Amino acid sequence: MKTTSISIFKIILLFCSMTYLQSCSDFLERQPDQILTDDQIFGDKVMIRSVLANFYGRVTWGQHIGDWYSFTVLDEAGKSDQGPDNMQNFGNEHWRVSNYELIRNFNQFLKGLRESTVLNDTEKQEYEGEVRFLRAWTYFNMCRGLGGMPIVGDEVFEYISGMDVGSLQYPRATEAEMYDYIIAECEAASLMLPASTNTNAARANRWVALMLKARSAIYAGSLANYNNKMTSPIRTPGGEVGIAANLANAYYEKALQAAQEVINTSPYSLQLTKPDDLERNFYEALSVKTNNTEVIWARDHGYPGEGQQVNFTTMNIPGSHAEDIDRAAAGPILNLVEDFEYVDDRNGDIKIRDDQGNFIFYDDPLDAFANKDARLGGSVILPNALFRGTAVEVQAGHKVWNNGTWQTVTSTPGERDNAGRVITSANGPNRSNEQFINKSGFFFRKFLDETPGASTRGRNSDMWFPRFRFAEAVLIAAEAAMELGQQSIALGYINQIRSRAGIQPLASITVDDIIQERRVEFAFENHRYWDLKRFRRAHIIWNGVVNSPNAQHWALFPYLVVAPGTPNDGKFVFDRLTFSNSLHPRFFELRNYYNFIDLGWQNANPKIVLNPFQ
Amino acid sequence: MKKILYILPILTALTIVSCGLDNRDEPESTIRGRVVYNGEAVGVRGTGEAVQLQLFQDGYELTNPVPVYVTQDGTFEIKIFDGEYKLVTRNNNGPWVNDRDTTVVRLQGMTDVDINVTPLFTLSNVSLALNGTSLSASFQANEVTQGWDIDYATIVVGRTSFVDDVSYTVRRDLRDIDTGVLTTELVDLTENADFKNGRALYARIGLRAAGKDQSIYSQVVKLR
Repeated sequence: MKTTSISIFKIILLFCSMTYLQSCSDFLERQPDQILTDDQIFGDKVMIRSVLANFYGRVTWGQHIGDWYSFTVLDEAGKSDQGPDNMQNFGNEHWRVSNYELIRNFNQFLKGLRESTVLNDTEKQEYEGEVRFLRAWTYFNMCRGLGGMPIVGDEVFEYISGMDVGSLQYPRATEAEMYDYIIAECEAASLMLPASTNTNAARANRWVALMLKARSAIYAGSLANYNNKMTSPIRTPGGEVGIAANLANAYYEKALQAAQEVINTSPYSLQLTKPDDLERNFYEALSVKTNNTEVIWARDHGYPGEGQQVNFTTMNIPGSHAEDIDRAAAGPILNLVEDFEYVDDRNGDIKIRDDQGNFIFYDDPLDAFANKDARLGGSVILPNALFRGTAVEVQAGHKVWNNGTWQTVTSTPGERDNAGRVITSANGPNRSNEQFINKSGFFFRKFLDETPGASTRGRNSDMWFPRFRFAEAVLIAAEAAMELGQQSIALGYINQIRSRAGIQPLASITVDDIIQERRVEFAFENHRYWDLKRFRRAHIIWNGVVNSPNAQHWALFPYLVVAPGTPNDGKFVFDRLTFSNSLHPRFFELRNYYNFIDLGWQNANPKIVLNPFQ
Repeated sequence: MKKILYILPILTALTIVSCGLDNRDEPESTIRGRVVYNGEAVGVRGTGEAVQLQLFQDGYELTNPVPVYVTQDGTFEIKIFDGEYKLVTRNNNGPWVNDRDTTVVRLQGMTDVDINVTPLFTLSNVSLALNGTSLSASFQANEVTQGWDIDYATIVVGRTSFVDDVSYTVRRDLRDIDTGVLTTELVDLTENADFKNGRALYARIGLRAAGKDQSIYSQVVKLR
């Protein structure tokens, strides 16, 4: 029998026939199993909960551990993976949030929830509080980037073909109205939400709503205050951007009252479980979920049945401790390290040279950081500090004493000299653009997971990312009290924070002390950028000047001293260098204080006015 | 029957092909111009799309402006279609008084247009020259608009003619600048790699008013 051969021609023929010779049937006419009706959702308790869970997955913006690169954008860390960081300006859409789809989904949920018959009144009230809080949180994230934006209330917009879209077009609210709305919604939500804590602080409760109220009020207060102290305040004629100076005190009072309510009546506290080891204590307060009393609301990355979801540890673990191919994607920079004070000296500069300009020799690289704020060791892995019980070796090379001068010798990472001494450590740092090698001299400790296997691609980490924690309530109270002229109350609060860090108390307090304290307390916690914006300091600190102390990224390289026959042989010295992978200093321009309005939004809604500088 | 089967692929091929080339002509008309004060072009930062004008055209449904980028010597050029446009400075952008008056441009082929602005300050008597291993700079700041303070003056040196407060290899900021008097400054270049290697050097002077987003610049001088 002849074998059948399928020629290309026949295949083409088949294809062509299919395009023409098809017939119709109702095969494709079926009920969608992916799109559910309101009745299907709000008639089922489990479905309602899963919609709510979906919302929690959609409210993370700005800097967070799901996006390690976001830590390198400011002056906290630098990028060390492969090519250099070319960032020169902040974009007009940098960390911009405008999610009216999400707002509409919240409002759909609220409508369905209120009509639902499967939940009792208590459950309904708690869910409503939760969603109204999440909506306020969304508006808050919009507002701190864009200023006032349209407030749509509980409205669920429906467009029907041919209708007049004018009724769907809302103008922007003023910046003050926006903060007032967020504060009012938080107040309402706080009365609906339970006061109890929940697993891994993943859900909103009363205290979370009060924290957002306090934070919104302090933001609004500082904007009203510091914007108007600029040479030319940033505002629009309609107030979409810019809050009147005379409103500042009312906001500060609201912030103080809300923060004090959390401090005095919530189940949370300034976690102090290891008073003998304040570094460890600080790390655990931020990065260990078990028995945590510090964190009020976090983005949790452990999902039931889904495992661990965040690769921050995988990407950033020191090479010596890595369990997979990834490592050392970014490292904290010297700018941050030096902003941590000494126990009894407010100038935190690392002492690397004496008055004559000679090296200071240290027996152990870690000794250079002795007597520093305990939060430094709790936030950053310093050279030769322990991680998971073993030292993290960080050594850039040798300093060889040669004919009366110091010669710098470096090698490929991990190489040893003839005497068997490591030259450049396998961890780095070096100044090339090799990936997997540190470039700054420091590694992250905050949010780096110590669990075995947490740095593998297959497992990843379930580390959380705290959004609100008790220390913020204390520092908001300190700031608000300071601005209201209540020095002693403000000092009482800020000194609680400083005492947990093991550093000297302050005797008086100014806004610079608040900025400084928040800088070190909340490093990598999505505060720095917004703080410098609301205090109107960003354009001064990130001034774009090459080799300036703040705008340029700096690194600290430890070297082993090779000077046989001298007492300094085998000791360590340090060089302060520019962070080679960040090519440009950070440059924050006046236009960056508010994101630009997308012109497409204005096309769709001509009532939207543009931001200043646009 | 067989013939029909042969025709089928050809027929399909014909239906799959899409329509022809882009059927619009590219814009061929040009608006050229300068941002001027007293007939002289105003120097600005020319990199990073820092200073922009906006070109509007009425009569269409959408009113988004076309950005026009001002280059460092204060000139600009845009290729666009013939028509009537309105040219406006961008809000709060540039070292001049924020004035959003429109300049109407009727474009047919090629049009030259001057945008008049009122700077807050101007620079005059600018001299930049190499003096041994130093750059010797002198300039005079003049107040044009009252009510503004000088934040700082800056002397910038770069290796190309694109030199401003972002692209530079040497920068010296001077505070407490008085208007109406000559300010002189020597900038040591011995540590500068381009100076040591004998490369080309360009320089100019910028003056920033406190609270403004941009500096006004002198024209670029080639030092060598």
